[in-house]
Amino acid sequence: MPELGLIIEVVLIFIKVYIVGMILFMLPLPLTWLERKVAGRIQVRLGPHRVGPKGLLQPFADMVKLLLKEDIIPDKADRFLFKLAPLLAMIPAFAVFVAIPVGDTFTIPGIDYVFKLYISDMNVGVLYVLAIGGLGIYGIIFGGWASNSKYSLLGGLRSAAQMISYEVALSFAAIGVVMMSNSLSLVEIVKSQGGGFWNWNLFYLPVGPVWFLIFFIASLAEINRIPFDLPEDEGTLGSGFHTEYSGMRFSFFMLAEYIAMVTISVLAVVFFFGGWMPPIDPATFGIKVPAQIMSVWGIGWFIAKVVVFIYIFMWIRFTLPRYRYDQLMTIGWKILIPVSLITVLVTGLMRIFLT
Amino acid sequence: MSEKCKAKLINFVKKSVFADFIRGLYITFSYNFEGAMTLKYPDSEKWIPYRRFRGLHTLNKNSEGKELCVACELCSRACPTDCITVIPEENDAGRGIADRVAKVWEVDLTRCMFCGYCEDACPTTAVRLGREYELACTTLERGTRSRDELLLPQPVPEALTGGVVAKARFIRSADGIKVVAELGKVRQRKL
Amino acid sequence: MIEQIFFYIFAIIAVVSAIAVVTSKSPIHSAIALIITLLQVAAIFILLRSPFLAAVQVFVYVGAVVVLFLFAVMLLDLGGEKIKEQFHQQTVLGVISSVGLFVVLLFMLSRGSLTAPTGGYTEAVLAKNTEVIGKVLFTKYIYPFEVVSLLLLVALVGAVVLVLNQKGKDGV
Repeated sequence: MPELGLIIEVVLIFIKVYIVGMILFMLPLPLTWLERKVAGRIQVRLGPHRVGPKGLLQPFADMVKLLLKEDIIPDKADRFLFKLAPLLAMIPAFAVFVAIPVGDTFTIPGIDYVFKLYISDMNVGVLYVLAIGGLGIYGIIFGGWASNSKYSLLGGLRSAAQMISYEVALSFAAIGVVMMSNSLSLVEIVKSQGGGFWNWNLFYLPVGPVWFLIFFIASLAEINRIPFDLPEDEGTLGSGFHTEYSGMRFSFFMLAEYIAMVTISVLAVVFFFGGWMPPIDPATFGIKVPAQIMSVWGIGWFIAKVVVFIYIFMWIRFTLPRYRYDQLMTIGWKILIPVSLITVLVTGLMRIFLT
Repeated sequence: MSEKCKAKLINFVKKSVFADFIRGLYITFSYNFEGAMTLKYPDSEKWIPYRRFRGLHTLNKNSEGKELCVACELCSRACPTDCITVIPEENDAGRGIADRVAKVWEVDLTRCMFCGYCEDACPTTAVRLGREYELACTTLERGTRSRDELLLPQPVPEALTGGVVAKARFIRSADGIKVVAELGKVRQRKL
Repeated sequence: MIEQIFFYIFAIIAVVSAIAVVTSKSPIHSAIALIITLLQVAAIFILLRSPFLAAVQVFVYVGAVVVLFLFAVMLLDLGGEKIKEQFHQQTVLGVISSVGLFVVLLFMLSRGSLTAPTGGYTEAVLAKNTEVIGKVLFTKYIYPFEVVSLLLLVALVGAVVLVLNQKGKDGV
């Protein structure tokens, strides 16, 4: 008979997974609204404003529309793969969040139970996140192939090539973070950046900002967002890999895309912006704040940083045009990879001689 | 050569600090504070055009309330699409300024292209193209407007210069939909 | 006990999908089966207390190598294969070598020499799995490591040279 503590732990994990899953399922609703409002603002128009106050109910209207649409499967499509692809795109996007910490621990006062604000603190968290996050590409490739449409196939092909090219740079950025923080665990990475914003990896001068830019560009390409959204290039490919998808299957792809955006924002915050660490720690001024308040305050900071990043992604989307395919490859192979190799060297030397 | 080198160097530095990107991002960010150009047209706002606008025809009266039209049929002759029908009649009940008045004055809006030639041709300035522009209708009969209706006073008075956005109410009725402007509450349009 | 049940689940799925890799007609379906196999192997690595290897397995093999396979398959438009084309008049050689391999394997299994002694790492040390692997790789096994990287470099240079030669022939 296993002991009570273990059972509580397991039950808590299930509850946490459920909560995180539900939050992620619901997140695209406000995000689509936000994205369209941001688009409206930037293009000097209003965005959705007719359904509900300020158009807040627009996502629900969209959801009803998508649910009621006919689910079309092309005649000569590979039916099994066609149905599987949206799920393949979606599941990894959810699975990544197992490793993501929103805070350290929360000691419940009274019973002194230490509640962990993450589902699992793996000692290979960075690798896990990158590996599972990279699996989402299969949804796009298989979706493109199974549709039996030339545009979809080209979208899938582009996606595969793009992903291979930018995975390298993204992994280098992760290596840089691991070198700066000296750990593969996401919780440890955040902890190493505590104590004020000057300790954040972004301000690990001179290499921190370079790593951040490499990470940011490569991750933009990884999640297929403008300016690197060639797999769903409306101008040349219809709408790329999801040309043939309609109704709920299409919305699964959209769901996966939005969650991937959240994932990358979260990773950027964890890797470079100190996760849940507030920019200025009261402890440095000798002010004592109870640990419980600090951890809630930290979650607030974490969410605020993630929201800022999501806004930046949307802002970029409605500012920059799309790259050409050869430009995309040039940026990936001829600029990002050499720059990251040099930066690995510099970071390594800094770690050896400065610490 | 050195000029070329310098230009190349400047270009390289610009690229490596993402100068162009930052400029673009700055521009789009500044749009955030400009507010929207969009009018909430059918819901709560309506555009009041300038006087020169060519919308639905109106038939005018003089200051004593007498009809100006003398049924000379010049408008119907000038019309490039043949959409105006005028049938004159003789009437000395003191209604018109002359004996000759229009028995029928009809305009077929499904054919009219709002060129304003009728306005130019009219010797008594009886025909004017007004500022009414919500002309969508569900039946073909509604596409033809006759004299009695065109003689009614206009929703936008001649005194108002126009070129403003007015608060409006959206009215849905059995006849169709209509947006009624409240001319008291107007704002300037953003340019 | 629980660990063994999980091991058998992963192992059976791995073997079944590995068979599916070679038997399925469509190369894309083969690729899916290959992905499943590699994921099961990663799971077995986790059972062996080696999360680092598991993550790298998913990262490199599932995340990159199979994507490259798929890229090639989609680019070349490989249709369903015919049975005939699978054997290029090498039936006899193929049968002999596979039977030989099975005989050797059976011999080894029956003598029970396929097991290996576990290393001197305790659970506490294995919690720092990545560190252990890194240290061993860059001290004790530095020579094979460097040889492998040199080999990969040679392959890379070779690929570049091949592409360059082709460009020259086309007069580009």
